[in-house]
Amino acid sequence: MSSTTRPPFRLNNSEFWTGVIGLGLGVFVIRSGLKLKLGTINDPGSGFMLFYLGLLMCAFAVSIILASVTEGGPTFGSRWEDVRWSKPVLIIACLIAYAFALEPLGFLIATIPLILLLLRIIDPVRWTLAVPLAVLAPVGVWWVLKHGLSIMLPTGTFEIG
Amino acid sequence: MDVLTNVFHGFGVALLPVNLLYCFIGVFIGTLVGVLPGIGPISAMSLLLPVTLSGTPESGIIMMAGIYYGSMYGGSTTSILVNIPGEAASVVTCLDGHQMAKQGRAGPALGISALGSFIAGTFALIALMLVAPKLASVAIAFGPAEYFSLMVLGLVVLTFLTQGSMAKALLMACIGIVLGLVGLDSITAQPRLTFGRIELIDGIGLVPVVMGLFGLAEVLINTEQAIKRDVINAKITQLLPNKDDWKRSAGPIGRGTLMGFFLGILPGGGAVVASFASYALEKRLSKTPERFGHGAIEGVAGPEAANNAAAGGAFIPLMTLGIPPNVVMALLLGAFVIHGLQPGPLLITQNPGLFWGIVASMYIGNAMLLVLNLPLIGMWVKLLKLPYNVLFPLIVLFTIIGVYCSSNNVFDVYVMIAFGIIGYFMRKFGYEPAPLVLAFVLGPLLENNLRKSLILSQGDLMTFVERPISAACLVLAAILLIVPMLPSLRRKRELVALDEGA
Repeated sequence: MSSTTRPPFRLNNSEFWTGVIGLGLGVFVIRSGLKLKLGTINDPGSGFMLFYLGLLMCAFAVSIILASVTEGGPTFGSRWEDVRWSKPVLIIACLIAYAFALEPLGFLIATIPLILLLLRIIDPVRWTLAVPLAVLAPVGVWWVLKHGLSIMLPTGTFEIG
Repeated sequence: MDVLTNVFHGFGVALLPVNLLYCFIGVFIGTLVGVLPGIGPISAMSLLLPVTLSGTPESGIIMMAGIYYGSMYGGSTTSILVNIPGEAASVVTCLDGHQMAKQGRAGPALGISALGSFIAGTFALIALMLVAPKLASVAIAFGPAEYFSLMVLGLVVLTFLTQGSMAKALLMACIGIVLGLVGLDSITAQPRLTFGRIELIDGIGLVPVVMGLFGLAEVLINTEQAIKRDVINAKITQLLPNKDDWKRSAGPIGRGTLMGFFLGILPGGGAVVASFASYALEKRLSKTPERFGHGAIEGVAGPEAANNAAAGGAFIPLMTLGIPPNVVMALLLGAFVIHGLQPGPLLITQNPGLFWGIVASMYIGNAMLLVLNLPLIGMWVKLLKLPYNVLFPLIVLFTIIGVYCSSNNVFDVYVMIAFGIIGYFMRKFGYEPAPLVLAFVLGPLLENNLRKSLILSQGDLMTFVERPISAACLVLAAILLIVPMLPSLRRKRELVALDEGA
């Protein structure tokens, strides 16, 4: 007979918190379903499916939370152990900035710096290759789309492109 | 006789120069993404989904199908030469394929892999030609209850086979359905979960979701580690297997083909499951199982045949029932929908040119792949040395362009970036994106069929269990949901659970 001991619950258990997020989403979906009207079983309304999906989501989320409490789980820190976590963080920051810049600045002005940054962030490409590539790739794509396929990319307030 | 007439008709469509070109582009890109680790067929297909808009439905779908089965061929090259699977279905090929390469037998390993794939692909196509029209005639009798239950089964099978916790996979599937329901209700025209945004009235687009979850998220995950590659540098000679190799491989190819084809048809199954199942079977049947893992050619021939046969078999549920059995087929369904076509039992009779054209093109594509993967192997080996720090920024650029071109809408670029970030965190926390995407595509169909069945049966839930096909699907789904709760079976599931989305 081997005795099994329950691991102590730690508040930085990532499984627990992802379960909580799932539960929150489930509650939100239930509320949305109720707002949209459930209808009847003979004639289900727009919120019928959402309501029951929300219930299922809550059930699965609760099961994840329970498993995290009883079986433990990896901490947030351990998920990023032994990896270059700064790389995806920087790329995400670049992408968010790009999302804000795309419409006001237009495709070319926003994309050239993005590609240059990515070329230098991931595993730095030497400047002599990174700069021409960052300029030529977006300009080439823009040219093909505009002249070959008649697709207009956003030109921004400066109307470049 | 009918089949032969239709096949000739199909070849007439597939041999049109434009379709031949699209087929070549598809299998070429398929081999390319198969060869390059980190980029799977799902990412490539999602990247090229908008391109299908520019041509005829036949051309677009021929290209997309080519990417899928092409990646099955290409994936083995990387597994054998670099010991890194090019895509998930080639994971098992690393075990013996790379060992063969280390022993100086890379040529026969690549040869048996390409030839076994060709044999299996050919068999799968012939079976597809014979089975699909028959199944389509049966599927006409399917009502909404059967469709609903089949889709439930498909989702449950996929969540069962997904790596990690089943509760997480089921939660992902539910979220996928919810995302699929965003937009106007198809019955009452009431907007749902649109948050007052006019861009969401038509729902969230498949292209930004898939490109974000698979394209962008894949790049983010891959940048966390420096990818090191140990490419076999020796010159590859004698690609054709010898007599003894053929003798050892004939059985595994035959069994792998049959098993792969049937596993491919099953909803939720697919090439990954088939390759693992074939490897396990061959090891069990072998008189010398200790050779496996040390360069046994059977360990390459069987799984490679199985994954290609499964790729062919997976077309059956999509073409005959309109139900995609896996994420790749869900993307193909997206391509059909973009062109205003609905795959299902009526597709073969209403659009024979399309159906038979695709089937014939797959045969031509298989022949093209044989040429691409044997005489041109040197080219792919060179490509394996392409630096990732240059490749990843270009992938980001193409995802942005691809998403924008699919809708001419900057909002979709935001959606893609958001899903890319969400997809990255999902993977970090062990939530697989594959069930979400399949559920996202099936969500509206699932809801529609559920509501139709309830309206038709006047609210009688027994309609789902009184109809034999529907009942069988639901029973199977229930078994798969219960199985992981039993500790002994839970361990077995963990052994076969796979990352479909990789």
